[in-house]
Amino acid sequence: MIVFDNVTKRYPASGDAISQVSFSIEAGELVYVTGHSGAGKSTLLKLMAAIERPTNGTVLINNQNVNKLKESTLPYIRRKFGLIFQDHKLLYDRNCFQNVALPLAINGITGQEAAKRIRAALDKVGLLNKEKAMPITLSGGEQQRLAIARAVVSKPSILIADEPTGNLDKNYAADILALFKAFQQVGVTVIIATHDALGQASQQNKVLHLNQGRLSTSAHSEVNA
Amino acid sequence: MKTWLTYHVQALRLVLSRFQKNKLSTFLICLSIGVTLALPSTAYIILDNLDGLVSNVKSESKLSVFLSENHNDTLVATIQAALKQNPAIQHVLFVSKEDALAQLAVIDANKALLDTLPNNPLPDAFFVEPKLLDVISIESLKNELSKINGVEAVLVDGAWIKRLNYLLQLGQKVLVLLASLLGFALIVVIGNTIRMQVLTQQAEIELSKLIGATNSFIRRPFLYLGALYGLGGGILAALISWMIILVLNQTVTEMAASYQTDFKLIFSSNYAALTLLIIACLIGLISAYFSLSPIYKKS
Repeated sequence: MIVFDNVTKRYPASGDAISQVSFSIEAGELVYVTGHSGAGKSTLLKLMAAIERPTNGTVLINNQNVNKLKESTLPYIRRKFGLIFQDHKLLYDRNCFQNVALPLAINGITGQEAAKRIRAALDKVGLLNKEKAMPITLSGGEQQRLAIARAVVSKPSILIADEPTGNLDKNYAADILALFKAFQQVGVTVIIATHDALGQASQQNKVLHLNQGRLSTSAHSEVNA
Repeated sequence: MKTWLTYHVQALRLVLSRFQKNKLSTFLICLSIGVTLALPSTAYIILDNLDGLVSNVKSESKLSVFLSENHNDTLVATIQAALKQNPAIQHVLFVSKEDALAQLAVIDANKALLDTLPNNPLPDAFFVEPKLLDVISIESLKNELSKINGVEAVLVDGAWIKRLNYLLQLGQKVLVLLASLLGFALIVVIGNTIRMQVLTQQAEIELSKLIGATNSFIRRPFLYLGALYGLGGGILAALISWMIILVLNQTVTEMAASYQTDFKLIFSSNYAALTLLIIACLIGLISAYFSLSPIYKKS
């Protein structure tokens, strides 16, 4: 599904954010990306979602080489992903329903069909009764769930979340993680970046541990696949 | 095709709902565009009316062909035949010097003056109505006629028409310059307004690009916004011009009455109003197009 081959991403001002990273992610996997802040987690996610192009090496998404794609076709690749951003990126000038409507509008889906899918997504994250509420009135956990609803409304095959539990207390965090697992169980590929210690989760799932832009071999045996 | 239509309806709806939310500011922007456009469009209407007036006057313009004193009736007949065959001439009227004197003598004051003269000073004359009324063809007809044997002089009535025409041409040039300058100013004003809107929606634009919106998806509502600002401004400009003409006409009809005509300014055809709206729309669209550079900036 996603294949990185010897990928390096260099920013002119700050040097290599990612160096010589190789791995592959299969459809339906749940993958954690771990590492300290500044280790390159966000950059790795941006490369996966075709938001950035690699400086060196190849990134394949569904067998398409991101480096060889035209700038004008990138938006269509990005629509395959559901993105959950570290800072949520909710739009505070519109209500929950309208926030979730945006990805559908981008896909040209409006009207009854859109409303049905928006309510289904809100229902899935437990916010159906808040569709008219403005995001600013929601709690941190609710905002996070709204961001998840927006990411899944267009039924993407890959879900990418950057620090989804970063600012939440433990109970909320567990809720959110359970939500992601539920998506994985219905066949969605889920990629989660986190700086938390994983504990048990690291035994059951693939972990990509980043250290100063390089994949560290210590985390898990599957890493160097 | 259906998706394409959906995208356009979606963009238009978005813009209209934003208009609804900000009724007053939308109206004020349209009004400023309207006032700016009203100036050249009113000037155009006035010039257009004057042009119509002048072409009416032109049709009354005639050439007077005066014959030399020593000629006989056969020469008069020959000249008359030649004039009648000339393709550039609409109508020819011969007035002999006796008839001309009789016409003058109809007025008493003239009669007293004419009685003091020893003989008839008037020449025989043809009055010629040309087919084409523009300055160049009248000039060439005049040259042609003055070369005919037995013709003493050819006079064109209404050299003043020529001057008026030059004045009108000057007016048209000033109008074109004024309109282009104001059009440029409008592009700057509308462009700035739209750029402000783009900047206030920067968060939404950035997010949309991250989750797969194409540039044209993001651009579309702003292009509609520009075009609709232009359209609103155009409608207001037409209304303002119409009101100005209404006010001016009170004076113009009084003045025209003193010249014994019933001239008044007419608000031009629907065609002209439509042109105004289309131009306004285009100006809006162009300004929007050129103010969208923040969209393409990579986040």
